[in-house]
Amino acid sequence: MANLDKESAVSVNLTNPEEGKWGMVIDRDLCTGCQACVAACAMENNLAFVGEELSGNGRSMHWIRIERFWEGEYPEVKATPFEPTMCQQCGYAPCEPVCPAYATVHSQDQQLNLQVYNRCVGTRYCGNNCPYQVRSFNWFDYERPEPLNNQFNPDVTVRRRGVMEKCTFCIQRIKRAEDTARAEGREVADGEFAPACAQACPANAIVFGRVDKPETVVSQLAKQARGVKRLEELGTFPHVTYLKAG
Amino acid sequence: MIKKLLSWLASPLGKIGLLILSLIVISGAVWGIGQTQTVPEQPIDFPHSLHVGLGVQCLYCHPGSLKGPVSGLPTQTKCWGCHQQIAKTKTSALLAPLVQAVENNQPIQWVPVAMVPDFVRYNHRPHIAAGLNCEDCHGDVSKMTVYENPQVLNMGWCLNCHVEQAGEDEEKLIRLTDCGTCHY
Repeated sequence: MANLDKESAVSVNLTNPEEGKWGMVIDRDLCTGCQACVAACAMENNLAFVGEELSGNGRSMHWIRIERFWEGEYPEVKATPFEPTMCQQCGYAPCEPVCPAYATVHSQDQQLNLQVYNRCVGTRYCGNNCPYQVRSFNWFDYERPEPLNNQFNPDVTVRRRGVMEKCTFCIQRIKRAEDTARAEGREVADGEFAPACAQACPANAIVFGRVDKPETVVSQLAKQARGVKRLEELGTFPHVTYLKAG
Repeated sequence: MIKKLLSWLASPLGKIGLLILSLIVISGAVWGIGQTQTVPEQPIDFPHSLHVGLGVQCLYCHPGSLKGPVSGLPTQTKCWGCHQQIAKTKTSALLAPLVQAVENNQPIQWVPVAMVPDFVRYNHRPHIAAGLNCEDCHGDVSKMTVYENPQVLNMGWCLNCHVEQAGEDEEKLIRLTDCGTCHY
């Protein structure tokens, strides 16, 4: 199946899943763990506010989170650097084959993992099968008390109860940039737009762009020796590269 | 208990009762489906046929479709631009809501009819750029008074056209039938 996809992608001159189209580079040395990306993502993508109690029950909803691990035994513990973790937009995503409703599908056009909300029936198989644990589930219809309803982004679906959701690499911004570029009869320029997290990052730790074009900033950064993919051994071909501490 | 109910249903009175119940359910369903197909009431019974007949272009009142996702519904200022020069505006009963809106500086609450659900992201611009005309999707508005959709705006209808547009071009077909083209 995987090889078939690659062949068909090559045959029509599209990017292949292993290489990807859009990608991200996150520099762990630069990230200060300030959570600006988390806030920006929630605002951009109409994320619900689940509240303290539900968060405590493990039902928090974030498309991006700042991950940090403790290494060693107490009291000799050492914290790892901050790692903003969002959907890695795998080339061969473990979430996709387990969906019985084809709600999470691979976009051959954008090489992203899509979540089609109107197809999702809420089995949560995808969330359980995601090695990065980046999917969140709408357990309830969450309230947006006045005046929060005024800050909805009209370009993003407001998800209802019983639907899985995850980072989309801000596909609405990708689409808008592509549409503008097409209207002006040109290609999307490198750095012309960025997802909300990359835009909000005060340390410029998150860089976004085309990974299939060698001249882009993100491709240059990803090629560095410090670049690592997370859980690479699983063969998921994630499109987010982390630059580990020198 | 159940046996008693079954024997009552077998009796003539029970059969009549069953018939009445099924009639209520069916008529309720028909009414419900009919509700989804009726055109919502507008603040002004805007005669599209008259305006298009006078030669007003679609894009004069709905200019957004040329540049972006939403075509837009005109505000009272746009209407007033022409209507303040028309003597009939002040006297016509049909136009009273417009005069009122202008005098009180209150917006006209048009009810959008050509709508897609919240989980569909529709953009007018690429459709116009692809050479489609307004009437290809919105029907012959010059024959309508209050606008109504000429067909159900569902996904099968969208996809039929997308597949047709792609033709033999496989790359275009992938792009136009990708879930992420409309759903995010």
